[in-house]
Amino acid sequence: MQTESIKEAIRTHRAHYCLDCGKCTSVCPISWRDPSFSPRALVESCRLDATGTVLSDERIWECLTCGRCSLVCPSDVQFVRFVRELRSVARHAHQEGHCTHGATIQTWMRMMADPEIKQERLGWLTGDLRTAAKSDTVYFVGCLPYYDVLFRNTGAQGTEIAQGAVRIMNALGIEPMVLSDERCCGHDLLWEGDTDTFGRLAKLNTESLRATGARRVVTTCPECAYTLRTDYQLGMEVVHITELLAARWDKLAECVTAQESEQPLTVTFQDPCRLGRYMGVYDQPRQLLLNLGLQLAEMDHHGSRSICCGTSAWTQCGATAKCIQVDRLREARATGSDLLVTSCVKCQIHFKCAQNDPVLEDGLRIEVRDLVTLVAERLKESAGS
Amino acid sequence: MSMSLTEPRIIVFTCNWSAYSGLESAGAEGLSYPASVHPVRVMCLARLHPGLILRAFELGAAGVLLLGCPPGECHYGSGNSRAAEMFEELQALARLLGVRDEQLQLDWVTTGQGATFANKVREFADRLMLVPAT
Repeated sequence: MQTESIKEAIRTHRAHYCLDCGKCTSVCPISWRDPSFSPRALVESCRLDATGTVLSDERIWECLTCGRCSLVCPSDVQFVRFVRELRSVARHAHQEGHCTHGATIQTWMRMMADPEIKQERLGWLTGDLRTAAKSDTVYFVGCLPYYDVLFRNTGAQGTEIAQGAVRIMNALGIEPMVLSDERCCGHDLLWEGDTDTFGRLAKLNTESLRATGARRVVTTCPECAYTLRTDYQLGMEVVHITELLAARWDKLAECVTAQESEQPLTVTFQDPCRLGRYMGVYDQPRQLLLNLGLQLAEMDHHGSRSICCGTSAWTQCGATAKCIQVDRLREARATGSDLLVTSCVKCQIHFKCAQNDPVLEDGLRIEVRDLVTLVAERLKESAGS
Repeated sequence: MSMSLTEPRIIVFTCNWSAYSGLESAGAEGLSYPASVHPVRVMCLARLHPGLILRAFELGAAGVLLLGCPPGECHYGSGNSRAAEMFEELQALARLLGVRDEQLQLDWVTTGQGATFANKVREFADRLMLVPAT
């Protein structure tokens, strides 16, 4: 049964076309640091597996699903999709990855799959932020209020991103709806193979979002955006806020104060995997940064060649993840930038966590910011009022 | 008030050195406490983390009571102040998830105080019974 499921995953995601060339391994950030991991070798193990023993292979959980391998694969093997399905099969065989943070995050995600839960998730909504009971736009906040609590010690921004997003939308004349019964989008559970809980979350969110009658969903998290767009059948337009802001720059330009000093801040941009490689949104955040009057200095690996922040789905964080984060922070510093800007709260959390290293501290120092908060703090006082 | 057959389940995490010895004393003294209380002995409350306690709620616990050593009397010196820090983070997450404060509490019991243990868990259980079902 399990071996049949593995074979099915191999067929569905083209893993049987693997040429054993190893190009995937040469671009894989995990393989660079952990020679025991290789996408190619994992595919081979699965193809040779006759008894299902591969399901207890730790390597199944190591992949970041960052998607760099897919860019170079000559046979178009859908490795990240293959891994996702393999994890689902492994989970049914009672295997799972090592959940970081004591599985706190996965637990709150599963609690949210209870239809009866009554969350108090809108405490971040201050009086100056305008939301509406009826609007053509819903702002999907995601787990930001939760991350704000759990990662307060890293100095990561959580609710500031949500507040900034509403403030900017208000300046653009949009008063979005926000939902008190919104739940985690389920991205992390889905990519960890927990398709059952993902299905329950997706159903509840889909019902709530459709019931709003809105036409569009805006998110500040690339993973929410990708999941709502690709893995839900919403029938609504889903946009990441960088897409919305870039499309509405003409109007936004009137509301922000661009930096006009002689020495503008130099920034570098960390492409979140879901925003860049998965959704192809590379230019919009960069255009926004330039429009704000900032200078852009690219890291060696940027755009489609960008490197993941080191951990995905809150699983398998460890020495390899830390090495990837340290390398990436050093790459950001090497650009001479004042700020490392990203558009995903998780990138920010992971980098800020790595920066807490008491030994490497000075060598990793660079302020990490979310693009939304950077725009929001440049809004003119009169904007949107 | 009629007692429901499906009485809510209450998880009480007890520190081995204080609250658990209180529980044993309560047993030795023949003191009763509600049958819905399910004690879980841990060596120190600081061993717990928010994920573990949220997991109790995920699995359907009606309430979770953490009983540790009184301030200044931690067997390990700093465990109860670490537990208090952890509890602050836990409570903020639990509130977001709609867990009411009377469903989640941190308290202490001095070593060997059977009556204190029984009273504290009974009061906790009583307060939960008064919470309207949602």
